[in-house]
Amino acid sequence: MGHFITSKDIPADGEHIAKGKLAKPIMVCGIVALVGIIVSICLLLLNNPYKGEAADTVAGRYAYSWLFAFAFFVSLTLGGCFWLLLHHVSNSGWGVSVRRLMEHLACVFPWMGIIAIPFLFPSVQQHLFEWMNIHRGFDGVGMYGSAKDALHHGHGQFDHLLYAKHFYMNLPFWLGRMVFYFVGLGGAMYYLRKLSVDQDNDPNPDSSRLKKARRRSSWMLIIFALTATFLAFDLIKALDYKWFSTMYGVAFFAGCVLNGMALLILTTIVLRRAGYMQQIMSPEHHHIMGKLTFAFVVFWAYVSFSQFFLIWYANITEETSYFILRNTGNWNIASIALVFGHFALPFLFLIRSDVKKKPGLMIPITIYLFILHALDHYIMVAPERGPSLTINGEHGAQLMPTGSVIWLDLLAFITVGSFFAFFYLRSLTKTSLYPNRDPRILESANLFN
Amino acid sequence: MTVKRVYGYLAEFESASALYKAAEKVRDAGHKKWDCYSPYPIHGLDKAMGMKKSILPYLVFFGGTLGILTGFTLAYTTQVAIYPTVVQAKPANIFTTAAFFPIMFELTILFSGFTTLFGLLALMGLPRLNHPLFESRQFQRATDDGFFIAIEARDARFSTEETKSLLEDAGGTNLELVEEPAS
Repeated sequence: MGHFITSKDIPADGEHIAKGKLAKPIMVCGIVALVGIIVSICLLLLNNPYKGEAADTVAGRYAYSWLFAFAFFVSLTLGGCFWLLLHHVSNSGWGVSVRRLMEHLACVFPWMGIIAIPFLFPSVQQHLFEWMNIHRGFDGVGMYGSAKDALHHGHGQFDHLLYAKHFYMNLPFWLGRMVFYFVGLGGAMYYLRKLSVDQDNDPNPDSSRLKKARRRSSWMLIIFALTATFLAFDLIKALDYKWFSTMYGVAFFAGCVLNGMALLILTTIVLRRAGYMQQIMSPEHHHIMGKLTFAFVVFWAYVSFSQFFLIWYANITEETSYFILRNTGNWNIASIALVFGHFALPFLFLIRSDVKKKPGLMIPITIYLFILHALDHYIMVAPERGPSLTINGEHGAQLMPTGSVIWLDLLAFITVGSFFAFFYLRSLTKTSLYPNRDPRILESANLFN
Repeated sequence: MTVKRVYGYLAEFESASALYKAAEKVRDAGHKKWDCYSPYPIHGLDKAMGMKKSILPYLVFFGGTLGILTGFTLAYTTQVAIYPTVVQAKPANIFTTAAFFPIMFELTILFSGFTTLFGLLALMGLPRLNHPLFESRQFQRATDDGFFIAIEARDARFSTEETKSLLEDAGGTNLELVEEPAS
């Protein structure tokens, strides 16, 4: 069975990334994020009066780009949250070696709240969430006491729909949920990481923290489920308030979890190539993580297709609108690309067991999965904006000489991406790379499956 | 007089780890047709025995592919080619494929399930009613507390003398030349 890891092989203080090794990338990410955020604030908020024109302005288009970038990177962090919680709840021993990386990824989630701040401004909301405009239009107008009453008696085409959804879709509740997501789940993640990091410095480590983490994770998992589902509902699905789909939260979750694991695989491979975690990890860990990725490739396809299929079959007007928009014209090419690119190709690639153990093959597939995941989220968000993938802005203000929305998307993606990378990398340098005093670290290091 | 044929050499080992080490020795001696018998599964024993990867996954993959194609052909010929059915203005052409996915999915599962089961049985040579090793009385303990290695006479490197000394060197006790009735 080769060599056996004993406690002598594990350094008493764990492994830390050498000081200064990541300082430069972190600084570059930080500067790019800062500059990008300043430019973004200018684009989103300046010269963008409330009650302006809809998606024909740069600010209006950029709001969608920002939402797309936010959705992509928040999904990665939510994936980290899920794997951490699942690891604790299932009381599993295999992943102790990589658990710290999950904790770092999960702890980026509360920071993503900063990226979500622009969505709280009415001048940004007006482009994204039509229902808010209608609510605001009714608020305090005429003889009705509240927007709910006004909607009840309103004669607009969708007023009654909004009245029926008022218990959920109203501004104070929406705002409260936004705060709950980042404070609730973010706090839970910080708590779990604190438990784990405290263990590293405890001279007499025992399993009490492990038990505490397991017990608390069981209800934190409920917070996660609510957050992942309703974050997707509130920010992405709400772009079209007339649409109904109960599968949406699950479909979003599948993408989160798949790409969270892909990012963890990428991180471990890069760290191992740089010479870290040599004793604590083996191809067996890569194998298990590859299996989970494979499982969620299938799960994503299953859920996404189920959503499409039920809507396609039932043929109910208020449900089909979503897919009519996305399965016609140039968007259809992108939708078909998802079927083959996001499911068929990775499925055939990952189905072999030896592929999962080879870092050289897993690096390209994880990057590939990120690209397809970005396409997936782009198809969720961008069609609501108006112009198709290939149509340049023909009217309205243009940022770039070409006037294509692609530049705005790229700017938002790079900004949020470097913001994400800044907090993730900074977090990685701060603690040991694995919980070196966890009672089950040896069990994990000697993993065999 | 019944004619007997040599099946192979059977040796007992005292523990799982002794069996594991002996398996490595037999593997390194270059034997191919032999097997370990233990009352419970031993982690990593397949590596110690130098076992090759099974071809079963490939069989299952092709079984599954056959299933998905069967599902598609079945649904497409009946619903589109032979008797096109228009329901709720849904198309009756290649774009109807979305409606066939459930049956394609189910048949993929069914066919891969069947290939797994029957492929496994075929590769293991099951079902069989008797095994030559059941001739040995001490082998009954293989389901209780005995750890055994049996090297078959079919093996190219098998010879009564050398195999015996190999098993003795590896720490085997109660060596027995198992014979089966020739039919």
